[in-house]
Amino acid sequence: MAIAQAETEAALIAKAQTGDRSAYGELVRQHHQGVIDVVYRMCGDTHLAEDAAQDAFIQTWLHLPSFRPGTSLRNWLYRIAVNAALDTLRRAPKTPFVDLETLAMPDPQAGPEAALLQKERSLAVQKALSSLPEASRAVLVLREYGSLSYQEISSALDIPLGTVMSRLNYARERLKEILTPDFIDMEMEYV
Amino acid sequence: MSDHVTQWLGAYLDGELRGALLRQVSNHLENCDHCQVELDEMRGLSALLHEAAPVGDFLPTERFVANLNLNLPRQTEATQTRKVVEIGWWLIPAGVIATWVFVQVTFQLSALLMTVSNIGLFGDSLAWLSLSGTRQTAWFGLLLNTFGNSAGTLALINSIDLFIQDLTRHFFWQAALGLVYLAWLVRWWLGQQNQTTTAGNFSRS
Repeated sequence: MAIAQAETEAALIAKAQTGDRSAYGELVRQHHQGVIDVVYRMCGDTHLAEDAAQDAFIQTWLHLPSFRPGTSLRNWLYRIAVNAALDTLRRAPKTPFVDLETLAMPDPQAGPEAALLQKERSLAVQKALSSLPEASRAVLVLREYGSLSYQEISSALDIPLGTVMSRLNYARERLKEILTPDFIDMEMEYV
Repeated sequence: MSDHVTQWLGAYLDGELRGALLRQVSNHLENCDHCQVELDEMRGLSALLHEAAPVGDFLPTERFVANLNLNLPRQTEATQTRKVVEIGWWLIPAGVIATWVFVQVTFQLSALLMTVSNIGLFGDSLAWLSLSGTRQTAWFGLLLNTFGNSAGTLALINSIDLFIQDLTRHFFWQAALGLVYLAWLVRWWLGQQNQTTTAGNFSRS
């Protein structure tokens, strides 16, 4: 199954490298959600994340002819996405980092108290993420939301494996300091 | 319990530990409440991060793809230019190798023809080749008149001549070939690096 999917992706990449927009559109469909997850956590704002995702996919399209077959498109795409998110943040006016209105839409199925708690959690998490240094945030986002292995993060960000581990440890320690005891203790009860 | 494994807990949680280190951390966790609590906190943090995923307000994938398609620039011209550059870059070492082969063949053929001429195998048909020999003789005569007709001088001039010939034939061309090939290799390597860095840093400029 995975092999068939890889072959399909390879075929789509080969077509897209020759300028086939339809094939590239299919690749975008496959990776859209993953890229959105990454750029949103880097930007903390839905509109900025949309812009960054579009920039990332445009740059990927432009550089696709130089993409080496056999390497991971996802890793390459996430690397571009992280940089696109950082660039979008730098270009963006200095407005509040977290999009308060659209950050966390409460689950309509949940009760008002649970919905409020859910919104508070999302807000707190995004604020905590935004307080991290960019380098650590990028590593954490790629690990937690991109599900990349340490080796893949190392390759994607072009940093040593030891640096991946140290940045990840630092980011997690910082988040624990910020988010404990309000939320993590509550989460531990359900893990 | 001393010697906590706190620094490895993140990698343990992420399934990144292998072999002896994995066993060491696993064994330690069985006996260390402090590290176990740390690990549980990390699990809680990871769960919290995932639970706080944003909901709604992003464009649906199909609409995003449609918008993106409208904004995609043409890729073909860039592709063709890149291909021409790549082919041109491959021609550099090929050209150097061809030049080297040509020079070597010329040297060897000249030596062969001179030997054949000296033996007299083809009579006067190769007399035109002695033109360079005449020039050499005149030049050699000038040297002898200048520095004297001693055996030592002749040996020295002969040695220098041989050294220069060897240097030219065997060292210079191969060194030049090696240097150009090395330069091409560096350029190729940079090109490979470029694939992973250029796109990633596209808007840094």
